[in-house]
Amino acid sequence: MGRHDRLLPGLAALASVAGLGVSVYLTVVHYSAIPLVCTSSGAVNCERVLSSGYAVIAGSALPTSAAGIVWFTVSAALAVGQLSGRGVPLLTLLQVAWSALGLVTVLGLVFIEIVMLGTICVWCTAAHALVLATFLLAIAIWQSATESARSMNTRPMRK
Amino acid sequence: MAHKQKGAHSPSKSPPRMSLQQPHKKGTRSMRKPVRRTPGWLPAAATIGAIALLVVAFLAIRWVTTPPAPAPIDSTHAAAVLSTITSLPPSELEQVGLGSAANRLKPVSGPALVGPGGKPLVFYFGAEYCPYCAAERWPIIIALSRFGAFSGLKTTTSSSSDIYANTPTFTFHRATYSSQYIEFQAVETTDRNQNSLDSPTQAQVALVNRFDASGSIPFVDLGNRYAFSGATYAPDSLQGISWQQIADALQQADSVQAKAILGSANLIAAAVCKLTSDQPAEVCSGAAIQSIEAKL
Repeated sequence: MGRHDRLLPGLAALASVAGLGVSVYLTVVHYSAIPLVCTSSGAVNCERVLSSGYAVIAGSALPTSAAGIVWFTVSAALAVGQLSGRGVPLLTLLQVAWSALGLVTVLGLVFIEIVMLGTICVWCTAAHALVLATFLLAIAIWQSATESARSMNTRPMRK
Repeated sequence: MAHKQKGAHSPSKSPPRMSLQQPHKKGTRSMRKPVRRTPGWLPAAATIGAIALLVVAFLAIRWVTTPPAPAPIDSTHAAAVLSTITSLPPSELEQVGLGSAANRLKPVSGPALVGPGGKPLVFYFGAEYCPYCAAERWPIIIALSRFGAFSGLKTTTSSSSDIYANTPTFTFHRATYSSQYIEFQAVETTDRNQNSLDSPTQAQVALVNRFDASGSIPFVDLGNRYAFSGATYAPDSLQGISWQQIADALQQADSVQAKAILGSANLIAAAVCKLTSDQPAEVCSGAAIQSIEAKL
């Protein structure tokens, strides 16, 4: 695996680690008395979002950010797996599927923030942006892999 | 293709054969026809564009579905509404029973919670912006008015930028309550725009931390025997209607609002009856209250 081939999975791993950090922070704040670093007026109000009924996974006391920890951990593992160079085609496909699942979930959460709550949580938005970045990187990695496979199949034919 | 005569012409049906008819470079030729490849930036641009469109659609949905704030009413009309909802006939409350209320009351243990006057204390913790608090104040006012009397209640609405926006309600901020059976304390932490209002005492904070670990509001503690957080009915039944319309609906036992609000009021009244040893009898001896008490 060349330096260029490592760039995209490396960026995906970085995005996942950053998202993991955000998710861990929100989960710690949920379970402790630590005040959330966020504005609480106008259209941006983390407190309102994170104290709403949508801030926990339906039917449980688990914060939604706990699901974020799981998602970003798996995403980071997939990216690191690609960096190691073993089973790359399968990992690339899994990364695309996993990040697509994450993106659909994010769109649902954004719908809740905008339509149901009418307010935005910047920490959540940061995590959402990292999911989107992971998705775009997964698509780019998949495109790159497809291009490589295609170029191997179209070598010049000698007479 | 060698059987085709050179120069044969079939203008409308012949497939493009340019690549076959052109001379190839000596020694090599491509195995496949050249494919026009998707530019690398296109999937990313399409994804970002689609998400941007979705966000715009979400904003449009929000704008369309947000009901306007009900027109404010003056103190005379507010007093009339309060008079209506606090003098509903007991027979109607009996008829509604638990209605559509969700029994969120949970038995709790701890030293009996009493007020400064030594009577059982009902403690409310909420905020004016909160739509669930807005919804729950209606049954609290109706229930507690059967044991005493409020004064200083003023109309307000929940936040215009939260779920169940602009839910009409009354605020407990600066309201007082007197009763020979119980005492009532309320903390409204912020107004509908989230500006600070009441500060809870250390004892009140301890109470909230002890029985409302999730921090959900409204939180109501009934004498440390029962507590609940959240609303006992969905605020959607109050959307887009005025205080007067709610008061009118509460006079009809089969209305959606009566089933929700009066059912919730009966639930709270039954819990209070547990604190007062079923006093006063005219409130606590009713079949509906007794039936709910048996379930608590």
